[in-house]
Amino acid sequence: MKSLLFLGTSSGAGKTTLDAAFCRYLARKGVKVAPFKASNLSLNSYVTLGGEEIGMGQAFQAWASGLEPTGDMNPVLLKPSGPGRMQVVLRGKPYMDIDRDSAMDRKAVMEKACESYDKLLAQYDAVICEGSGSPAELNLMDTDMANVGMMRARNVTSILVADIERGGVFAAIYGTWMLIPEEVRPLLKGFVINRFRGDASILAPGIERIEELTGMKCYGIVPYEVLKFPEEDSMSDNGGAIGNGDIHKEFVANLDKLIDSAIEAGVDFEGIEKLLAQ
Amino acid sequence: MKTIKRRVEEELAAGNIGCNRSCAYHPSHFRGQNCTFCYCPFYPCEDPRNGYFVKNTKIGDIWSCEDCLFIHRNETVEFALPRIKEKGVEAGDHEGMMEIFRETMDRCWKPGRAIMVVGATSDAGKSMTVAALGRILLRKGYLCAPFKSQNMSLNSRVTSKGHEIAMVQMLQAQAMGLTIPDYHMNPILLKPKGNTESQVMVEGKPFGDYDVQSYYNDFVPGPGRDIVKRNVDFLKDRFDLVLMEGAGSPAEINIYDKDIANMRAAELADADCILVVNVEWGGSFAYAIGTVELLPPEDRKRIKGIILNNVRGDPEKMRSGADELARRCGIPVIGIIPHADVQLPQEDSESFRGVKTRGTGSKRIAVIKLPRIANFTDIDPLYTEDTTVVFADCPEDVTTADAIVIPGTKNTVDDYMWMEETGIADAIKTMRGKVPILGICGGYQMMGAELRDPNGIEGREPGTHKALGLFDNITYWDRYEKRVVRDRADMIDGGGEVEGYEIHMAKTEVKEKPLFSMTNHNRKGELEGSVREDEMLYGTYIHGVLDKPAFRKRFLSKIKSRGQVPASESMEAGDYNDFIDMNLDKLADAFESGMDMDAFMRIVEGKE
Repeated sequence: MKSLLFLGTSSGAGKTTLDAAFCRYLARKGVKVAPFKASNLSLNSYVTLGGEEIGMGQAFQAWASGLEPTGDMNPVLLKPSGPGRMQVVLRGKPYMDIDRDSAMDRKAVMEKACESYDKLLAQYDAVICEGSGSPAELNLMDTDMANVGMMRARNVTSILVADIERGGVFAAIYGTWMLIPEEVRPLLKGFVINRFRGDASILAPGIERIEELTGMKCYGIVPYEVLKFPEEDSMSDNGGAIGNGDIHKEFVANLDKLIDSAIEAGVDFEGIEKLLAQ
Repeated sequence: MKTIKRRVEEELAAGNIGCNRSCAYHPSHFRGQNCTFCYCPFYPCEDPRNGYFVKNTKIGDIWSCEDCLFIHRNETVEFALPRIKEKGVEAGDHEGMMEIFRETMDRCWKPGRAIMVVGATSDAGKSMTVAALGRILLRKGYLCAPFKSQNMSLNSRVTSKGHEIAMVQMLQAQAMGLTIPDYHMNPILLKPKGNTESQVMVEGKPFGDYDVQSYYNDFVPGPGRDIVKRNVDFLKDRFDLVLMEGAGSPAEINIYDKDIANMRAAELADADCILVVNVEWGGSFAYAIGTVELLPPEDRKRIKGIILNNVRGDPEKMRSGADELARRCGIPVIGIIPHADVQLPQEDSESFRGVKTRGTGSKRIAVIKLPRIANFTDIDPLYTEDTTVVFADCPEDVTTADAIVIPGTKNTVDDYMWMEETGIADAIKTMRGKVPILGICGGYQMMGAELRDPNGIEGREPGTHKALGLFDNITYWDRYEKRVVRDRADMIDGGGEVEGYEIHMAKTEVKEKPLFSMTNHNRKGELEGSVREDEMLYGTYIHGVLDKPAFRKRFLSKIKSRGQVPASESMEAGDYNDFIDMNLDKLADAFESGMDMDAFMRIVEGKE
């Protein structure tokens, strides 16, 4: 079993991108890798060759992995359609509409999601999963699928992506670790700090302290890169348009640039790769 | 002293008059002030809690109590006035008056408390929380002052005494009903220069340039702590409450010892703290508990409440999580605040990040998104009009606009070079005469023919740079000198009044028809700005030029009809200040609706 789950300290922490970058890193090494996100809340969707609707982020991660996107890569897609209303897309097909009065059978849906995950795991050498939002939403902990949900259901080893741009990054990492339920907390092995500008040595005392407090390992500090990626999250407003030309090629070239600058900045991709085997 | 004596006599005879709303200067200090003692019967009281000596003037040391609020408070007047009459003390009897003064101080003066709002991240909503809490407390009759020990911002304003402080502290002061905000409210202002250095302003005046290392290693342990302490103490002597604002997150454990903007400031002011977390991006519970738990115990115990801010959707959905958070931190969640749709000036240009347009009105105004954009609140009044403001970062944004605004910048030369590199400079030139173009401060300098910087004061490279050439003006940076001044002026062609302030290095040799004529009493008739009405070109150094309706309407009226149905005015052309005030009330309402007011008032009263 070779899988790894990228969690984030918030929406927009950079999960989608770093997940894609890691897919690309493995694909460059010849590893057969597939992306996966159990559930996705987004209006930004992509239609696969098989006519299935999935989150845009997984489509790009698939291209980063050198694959054509499929419905299994994002088995649950939640599309907000109005106040308190959402369309549930299951394995690429409309499944039901939910609102305040009609909830979905979360357990049944989660089982379907896990089946997709198992299928990918059987087909590929590695499955790189992405979490959704923050895994530490106390009010949503019981209904979570993509984060703690996957950790509980399939014991997926996890790594936390923390965005430093808004500040409070150490609090975000420590707080997230604290609020992850104890029974799955040991699966959370490490963290990376994303979008850093400036001289990284200034962070060292803080990182040491967090490693000491949590037992997690810091796998690196990813430098800030101006990358025009498609926005998966409905909330972001980065106008993530990629210029003209071949959108896939540009995206993958962007990832290569990110990987190179991350490696140069000391991000330990090999160390992260070792987490796969756990 | 004779005049004062006569005035005090008149005041004593008139009795307690409360607010004097008919006075042209009202309110001279704060909203709701008592004007009975316009002239103080206790002058000079020489009590350092109310004033200070201005040393070595032409006639020796002079007691200044221009910042004194004590004499304008209802309790003071209600106690002192009858007491003066009872004892039969007459105006001019200083000994007699001082006895009553001491009694009044004992009875009515008490030192203020400090409450500090810290945030889990940099855009947690600290500034707006301080403004909202300030407005709530103003409505409850508290006299509050804002305070932020150290602010990093390019968005500054000039106080009535000619000091430069962060815009947002001015806004908070307005929320608290204060009419004369001063430098004590933001004693350290860092203005990033675009390289790795910042200009450090102390108590409203330039102090020196520092990089990150020297700031934290020299400035903070050196003068930094004392500056914070003396300014917050000054405010505590004069106000019921000092509402402090932290900077960034207080839990940056890698630089914890070097920080004077968060928990060290709280310690210096002995402040209780409220932690604000922005819920919008998720992870708010983690940010909250992580922040609290990373603080050392002696700092942690200052945090008396948590506010979950900016909740979109049903706040009740947060309730179970909030209860669990409170249980795990041992700190109550005192507010779950719904997202408030208010239009208030923004603190950081970072708030622009990723935002391309604002508004949906019919007139497209391209505001050039300069990399070091400064005082960008200049454009905020445009949002009250029928406009769509486009933050232009490419030539197409410029050539499709109905009007162009080139805002201020911390670095005119480097940002002009950016405009050339991006093709925006050429795009602006092609729009000359087709659409109205306004340059403010740095943008005005760019509209001229040349930027001469022989000593490299402004730009990376010393030398002369050709600029847009819309005007024939030439701007010089010949020495390291800064002009900081408040302006009041009339449009020369009689169009109406503008009000604002100038903050700039460099001087401009104007070769154009001037736009404004000053009306400040000591600068009456001085000319300012440039205009070519036939080409719809306007340039000025005055920040805030769009705040009053006169010039804003003139500028927008130049926009040619695009054949669309004329949009009805969204609101009457008003004073931007009233508009801000209305939005501050709206913001305070949103906070009040989501706050546990009893819990909050217990923190205010120091009972938590």
